[in-house]
Amino acid sequence: MKRVLIIGGGSGATFLANTLDRRQFETTVVSASVLHMFQPGLLYIAFKNAPAGITRAERRLLPRHVHFVQQDVTHVNLREHRVRTQAGMELTYDEVVLATGVQTAAARIPGLEEVNAQFGDYHSTIEQAQKVWRHLAEVRGGTIVIGQGAAICKCPPSPLEGVLLAEEFLRERGLKSRTKLVYFTPYPRPYAAEGINDIVAPILQARGIEVRTFFDLDRVDTANRTIYSIEGEQIPYDLALIVPPFIGAPITYEPAEVLDEDRLIITDKFSLRVKGVESAFAIGDATNLPTSKAGVGAHLEAKVVAQALAAKPARFDGRTHCPMDLAYGKGTFVIGSYAAPTVKYAPSRLNHWMKAAMARVYWISLRGWLDPLFDVYFRLTAPEKLAARKAHRLRPAA
Amino acid sequence: MAETEPRTVVDAREESCPGPITDLAKAYRRSKVGDVIELWATDPGVKADVRAWAAKTQNEVVSIEDQADKVVAVLKIHRR
Ligand SMILES: Cc1cc2nc3c(=O)[nH]c(=O)nc-3n(C[C@H](O)[C@H](O)[C@H](O)COP(=O)(O)OP(=O)(O)OC[C@H]3O[C@@H](n4cnc5c(N)ncnc54)[C@H](O)[C@@H]3O)c2cc1C
Repeated sequence: MKRVLIIGGGSGATFLANTLDRRQFETTVVSASVLHMFQPGLLYIAFKNAPAGITRAERRLLPRHVHFVQQDVTHVNLREHRVRTQAGMELTYDEVVLATGVQTAAARIPGLEEVNAQFGDYHSTIEQAQKVWRHLAEVRGGTIVIGQGAAICKCPPSPLEGVLLAEEFLRERGLKSRTKLVYFTPYPRPYAAEGINDIVAPILQARGIEVRTFFDLDRVDTANRTIYSIEGEQIPYDLALIVPPFIGAPITYEPAEVLDEDRLIITDKFSLRVKGVESAFAIGDATNLPTSKAGVGAHLEAKVVAQALAAKPARFDGRTHCPMDLAYGKGTFVIGSYAAPTVKYAPSRLNHWMKAAMARVYWISLRGWLDPLFDVYFRLTAPEKLAARKAHRLRPAA
Repeated sequence: MAETEPRTVVDAREESCPGPITDLAKAYRRSKVGDVIELWATDPGVKADVRAWAAKTQNEVVSIEDQADKVVAVLKIHRR
């Protein structure tokens, strides 16, 4: 039996461990945490004061035949197939799958750590997301700045979702006229991919949210409560909710060249093999793949790796399918692939409901039981297909 | 421009969402004044984005060229 070692215990790792055939593989999952967090839940803790029950025990999400080890991996020797943990444990493998996600790296931008510690963020921990809510709930007026601190963002729609939900909150509280909402992004338009931008830009305008594009965050001056861009612009704030940069897990690799400057694993975008070494794959946020860092991607990539490990033909097409909350009970999806540009997908209540339903469906989806359904759904919503249906139910959104 | 000038080639071909502009933003953050960035992309929207980006950041578009399999944009960094 082939020994497969999966490093990580998040979306990609858990789904893969559930998918591998127990008759062919002896599978071990090693994760730094005994818990598994449904990360999209952080958005609703931060902006809707949702209950904090968004974690489950990883062990219970894995089939019994899969070994689960809670250890912080510190060294991975991809040449010798040896893995070492902080506690000094050594693990070996025939095939390894790296699924260690990304972590926030506020320290990369001067002043950002301080501002995130002050106001919270919704991309790291439940406590940080609760801190966002506490500050938002205290707003009585002033300028609220929300934006994306670096080019790469876990869940690319999430910075915009934050500002849209904040606007809904302020309006509901009757604070709209006393507050100014500013959204900043390093991109040329509110959402980088044009199909979705066509949907979102008019919504931002209709809701009175000021947008500052090409704003590449350089530093935060917490004393003067102002953020500055590399381009030389500045925005003063009373409350700043800034999505920090993201980097890969602090693991030392042999060879070191498998990592890029953000500690992301250099991965072949079609085969998902780690560049330059044998018997190693990478999936999910941990990779440098030119696609959205999203749970959906991690899931689809895990499927490709499961096929490859079973010696079946396998190729990742770069498919994205990220739900985006537009507030006021409406949503859209960011749908695209390497070959097909992002589709202009009409907002609807159904899309929003699907995103909300995911909070429950997520845990079952990790087991792979819903995959026959997902396969059909993803086929029906393939970007090429949607683009071909030219007049795709496009209604004006606001 | 001298042929010997050091260039950073940023390969942003066949990328899915959020796309090539992410790579340009990353390369800009790493760049110094005087650097030349050569961006390859297959997304046709990149041309307008590169021009808008250069105008906004006051950097120079040396050339934008349609090749058989890609668009190649050459940028010179004057401001950082
Ligand atoms: C606010 C927010 C909203 C989001 N919304 C959506 C959405 O609507 N749709 C969507 O598809 N995605 C969404 N995402 C993104 C999604 O949560 C991630 O993309 C997804 O979890 C990535 O899966 P992964 O397996 O690559 O990494 P993760 O799920 O992050 O898992 C990484 C795992 O690696 C482990 N690990 C890390 N370092 C080590 C180490 N040194 N040793 C051992 N183990 C280690 C961790 O313990 C963890 O178990 C959202 C994220 C956020 C923050």
